[in-house]
Amino acid sequence: MKRTVPLLISAVTGFILIGTAFIPMFEEWGNDAMAWFNLLAAFAFILGGGNLLKMQLQKISAQQAGWGYAAVTLIAFFVTLFVGLAKVGVHPNAKFPEFSWSGNYLEVGSAFWWFFEYIFTPLSATMFALLAFYISSAAFRAFRAKNTEATILLIIAVIVLLGRTYASEWLTGGFPNEPIFGEGGITYSDFKLDHLSQIIMDDFTTPGMRAIKIGIALGVASTSLKVLLGVDRSYLGSDQEA
Amino acid sequence: MKQSTIIWTLLMVFGGLGLISVQLFRGKGEVYVREVPVEAKSSSKTSPEQTYRWSTYQEVSAKEKDDPGISFSYSRTLGLWVSAFCTLAIFSFLYGDNPLYKFTESVFVGVSAAYAMVVGFWTEIVTNLYAKLLPGMARMSFFPDMESDVQSDLLYLIPLVLSVLLLWRLAPKGNWIARWPLAFFIGATAGIRLISYLETDFIGQLQSTIMPFIVFTADGSLLWIKSLRNTVVIVGVTSCMVYFFFSVEHEGIVKYISRLGIWFLMITFGASFAYTVMGRIALLSARLDFLFNDWLGI
Amino acid sequence: MHLWKNVVIERLMIPLLCFAAGMAQSRADDPPKAKQLAPPTQFRAEDVDGDAGTAIDLFWTLSPDDEEDTKPRKVLRYVISRKQIGGSEEAVVLESGSPFVFEVEEKKPEFEEIGEATYRKDTFRDSNCETGVPYLYRIQAFGPDNAASPTVELKEPIIATLQWFNLQRSWFAVFVFLICGAVIVFIEMARRGKTLKIRKIAGLEAIKDAVGRATEMGRSCLFVPGIQDINDIQTVAGITILAQVAKTTADYRATLEVPTSRSLVMTTARDTVEAAYLQAGRPDEYNEDDIYYITDEQFGYVASVTGKMVRDKPAACFYMGAFYAESLILAETGNSVGAIQVAGTAMPTQLPFFVAACDFTLIGEEFFAASAYLSGEPQQLGSLKGQDFGKLIGGILLLAGCLIMTISAFESRGEPPAEGKETVLQSAQIYLKENILGKGGFKP
Repeated sequence: MKRTVPLLISAVTGFILIGTAFIPMFEEWGNDAMAWFNLLAAFAFILGGGNLLKMQLQKISAQQAGWGYAAVTLIAFFVTLFVGLAKVGVHPNAKFPEFSWSGNYLEVGSAFWWFFEYIFTPLSATMFALLAFYISSAAFRAFRAKNTEATILLIIAVIVLLGRTYASEWLTGGFPNEPIFGEGGITYSDFKLDHLSQIIMDDFTTPGMRAIKIGIALGVASTSLKVLLGVDRSYLGSDQEA
Repeated sequence: MKQSTIIWTLLMVFGGLGLISVQLFRGKGEVYVREVPVEAKSSSKTSPEQTYRWSTYQEVSAKEKDDPGISFSYSRTLGLWVSAFCTLAIFSFLYGDNPLYKFTESVFVGVSAAYAMVVGFWTEIVTNLYAKLLPGMARMSFFPDMESDVQSDLLYLIPLVLSVLLLWRLAPKGNWIARWPLAFFIGATAGIRLISYLETDFIGQLQSTIMPFIVFTADGSLLWIKSLRNTVVIVGVTSCMVYFFFSVEHEGIVKYISRLGIWFLMITFGASFAYTVMGRIALLSARLDFLFNDWLGI
Repeated sequence: MHLWKNVVIERLMIPLLCFAAGMAQSRADDPPKAKQLAPPTQFRAEDVDGDAGTAIDLFWTLSPDDEEDTKPRKVLRYVISRKQIGGSEEAVVLESGSPFVFEVEEKKPEFEEIGEATYRKDTFRDSNCETGVPYLYRIQAFGPDNAASPTVELKEPIIATLQWFNLQRSWFAVFVFLICGAVIVFIEMARRGKTLKIRKIAGLEAIKDAVGRATEMGRSCLFVPGIQDINDIQTVAGITILAQVAKTTADYRATLEVPTSRSLVMTTARDTVEAAYLQAGRPDEYNEDDIYYITDEQFGYVASVTGKMVRDKPAACFYMGAFYAESLILAETGNSVGAIQVAGTAMPTQLPFFVAACDFTLIGEEFFAASAYLSGEPQQLGSLKGQDFGKLIGGILLLAGCLIMTISAFESRGEPPAEGKETVLQSAQIYLKENILGKGGFKP
């Protein structure tokens, strides 16, 4: 019972939305469902936030290793939440100044904006920037010429990498636009690094990506049907209590 | 205390003191703003008109600091230093886990979790639920610029009910009912994505790949380079698809075709990887630009 | 005579010349008349096929003054106006001084401007029509300095009609039916006991070994179900794989940690892992605090997870779901702590990073096949056969289409295609691309 009703709900909803994709009058139902989902996710913050609080408070109360950092997390969380919900430092809408809550919660100069601009954004950008180091270390490890396949992979990667930089102009910019074999159509300039890089992307990467996407589409169809038909019901949990 | 901890602490303290003194001496790492006064009159037609005054501040370049109306901003200068501190703390993770990174990570988790909740509250619960169900009250509180003829959209009672069912999870009894809204949305996701992926990624990709093996010019002569490229693309897609067959063992002819498919996939991944490298380096240069230009003023 | 002629001419010429000068002067003082442009021709309208009766397409032949190479341009835009036919608009007017007296005015419908198309464009879609209401459209070309063409109107009004079935998607419906039908048929065949052979997938074989290794080393397993919410099918697939991994960790009595980036994913993951532990007969091993929420934000989440990885040093890391740029950060950190890493995603842009940094990667379709494969249930394996059938259809269509286009290219080599007189192969090629794989519907 605990799983039967949700299975029915899931199946009915899914098959109706598959059908509405072909009925113009109901085509927007899918978009409406996803818009409602955003609302559900906003309410679900209560569950997530509650869990975050519980985990950090447990660490503090049990005096586990690193409990001080849990306290820092809680303080940062509550301060940001308070200034954001209370719109601290937010001025009202200039057209309706008598409505003190009418301003934008992320108004420049407000307390919440300060947290976003000087803590959240630089931290996100710096984490993103770490990728420069990680991509270099991954490339160094992955593109070692241990065998024929790895060597070819390395050559391809070097061509594409250099083709995207000024090095292509510097190394191969002087290649003339003259045919190599009479009127055969191939010119010396076809071997410029940026041109080779483009050929690799268009003629090798594109087919690979297309085949992957075709497979993904079929995988999605199969997974969706398994979920809707109740063949795979693991996401629903159990009928019994643990 | 461990030796590494002592070294780190000394590095942080002296490094920090050094930076602060250098900055104070050079006068860099400061933010200046221009005050922009705002005068707003109340829009109410029933009560007497009132005038409200406040100021907003626009950030200006440090070169304008001596201009009239420009003042030093303590909050934004503090913010600049906090940003620089956060940036260096995250970079320190490359060396290894350390107290600075742990502290910053904790702050990041707290601030980002609260940020997501605040955004979710104002953009979804207030704008999309409260304003849709109770537009009159919403107009009197948060959205005075809303059209006065907006009616309640009772369809939004459905997500409200689903949300209440979800939160029943916290109740001591009957928390299994929280599965119903999840089942609704998982079913909706399955149905919607099945259609969208089949249309875009199955049909769409097949349509883009159908091309002739051999291409001729308008006057009938063979364009052998274009023909070769077309053939490579078709062979590439087909061989990769053969690689992904689950119910056929990779033996005999299938083995060779799927091997060719693996080659195409390896080239795909190698080229895609290399294609992204410069983009990631650009991200690093942006952060270094912030540190050296905006903060240190070098 | 000679004298008379001279006197007459002299006496008449001067006033004539003055008159002519005056005329020229008055013309110079008059404002220049707006230049008239040639109007667009063959203006027609069509109801958009397969919609909810809210759109009408307009087509026209460009104004002769709208030439590609003319600089400066004579035609800058085409303004489209619309008038409702047959109805009348009512306006309610409040009589001043008597708030309870209303006067209803009947307005005749006028042409209202509804949009513009730029120069060299010969189509426009009006997407704000009401179903069943007749509309008359008008088009006018405009150029610089108030240059305008005469207006061109439709001869008859047009009505946007509701279609119950989107005929443009007829062939797509066939594909959906075929592929879904194949999956269902093979599931049913498997249910009835037919043995289905599935080849091995290396990454999935490694999961058990990875969990076993973690147990031996006394370290935990980490499962990251992606950073998207439960409304992403990859997250659903990741959760179904989590069920299988949780069964394995329950059997081995290994610790499984699942940090999540979304509250709903945490909720679903908890139910899934709890059920897996129950099924494995180890309900006591289940600890709901091992599945926890961190933050919704991508980099806040990954900062916390990588910090945890460096401190706790899990022996096995599983990344199954939708990832973005943080994929490489996770994989590289896992590498640095010496964990066995198995990744699976359907994000084509992140696959190269997982392939480079992880020990095993489930590429695209393999990721969706994983839960079926790990469960070993015949009916789940049947769905994999259905996927293969879909690939077979796609492959046949692809090769057939390419062959048709190749033979057609040979056939029409050197001959320019005559208007409306395509060969059989050319028609087949067009039908394949525009109808079967396009939005042309069943009708050619």
